[in-house]
Amino acid sequence: MEAIAQQVTERVVDLLVSALDVNELAARIDLNALLDRVDINRILKQVDLNALLDQVDVNAVLAQVDLKPLLDRVDVNDLVSQVDMDALVERTDLGAVIARSSGGMGTEALDALRSQAVGLDQFVDRWVQRLLRRKEPTPLAPPALLPAQAEL
Amino acid sequence: MTARPAVVSYQGNYAGSVSRFVAYAIDLTVTSAVFALALAAISYGVHIVTGHDVSWNRSSPVVIVLYVLWQFFYFGYSWAVSGRTFGMATLGIRVVRADGLVLEPRQGIVRALVFPLSFLLFGLGFLGILVQREHRALHDLIAGTAVIYSWDARAAHLRFLARQAELAPPP
Repeated sequence: MEAIAQQVTERVVDLLVSALDVNELAARIDLNALLDRVDINRILKQVDLNALLDQVDVNAVLAQVDLKPLLDRVDVNDLVSQVDMDALVERTDLGAVIARSSGGMGTEALDALRSQAVGLDQFVDRWVQRLLRRKEPTPLAPPALLPAQAEL
Repeated sequence: MTARPAVVSYQGNYAGSVSRFVAYAIDLTVTSAVFALALAAISYGVHIVTGHDVSWNRSSPVVIVLYVLWQFFYFGYSWAVSGRTFGMATLGIRVVRADGLVLEPRQGIVRALVFPLSFLLFGLGFLGILVQREHRALHDLIAGTAVIYSWDARAAHLRFLARQAELAPPP
């Protein structure tokens, strides 16, 4: 009797499952509400990430990554602008390379002369602006050179 | 790395009065020295060929005309060809069109021709370098030109740091 009941039950379940549209059923489930009730952190704490990563072939994963569109999305100029060039030159061999490649006393003397002249230019300009009581800032560069200025 | 305040590159900015004055002083010294050498060479040549001594009087009209022509040639040619003279190259400045584009040869020649106008009325034409918003003198306004810095102060700063790092004792 019990065996018959078991067979009938299995048959009924089979019929029921075949009659059900699982996709429609899944569409009716509010996954967000379901996920809200799940404590993801608790689950993640139980995961041994090291063991998981040991099983992952990173090279194989990277081989499947198309780097070009990824790099296209990177703003290299922004990245470079965040680099402290002064520190880079001071702390790495790059400084020595620049020092050896950028001439000797001549370049040094020219740099010094030009820097002094620019300093005096600005000093004189500040005083003239003050004497003229000019409030609005004067243009820094000719129009065609202004975009280059903005980038610097 | 955290970025420190960036060193400004003055490249493309309007050049100020001191840079322009020093550049002109260098040009004047160089052109006068070359002119004096040329006169001395001519005197020597004439002496070798004819045996006569030629002496040049500074106030002689011939010498003055030759000197003025030499000045026109020096400045006109330099500005027309490269937009800068020897003095300007030394100070890292150059002449460009008023809008910032590369100078046309014709403008360089016009600038050299009208340059003496700035000396009139006790050099009043040069006052524009100090007070005009774009630091343009009378000859700049007439020729449609401006003078800008053409050297990169930031690169110079990096060279300075590189030299300091080179001189510093190893850690």
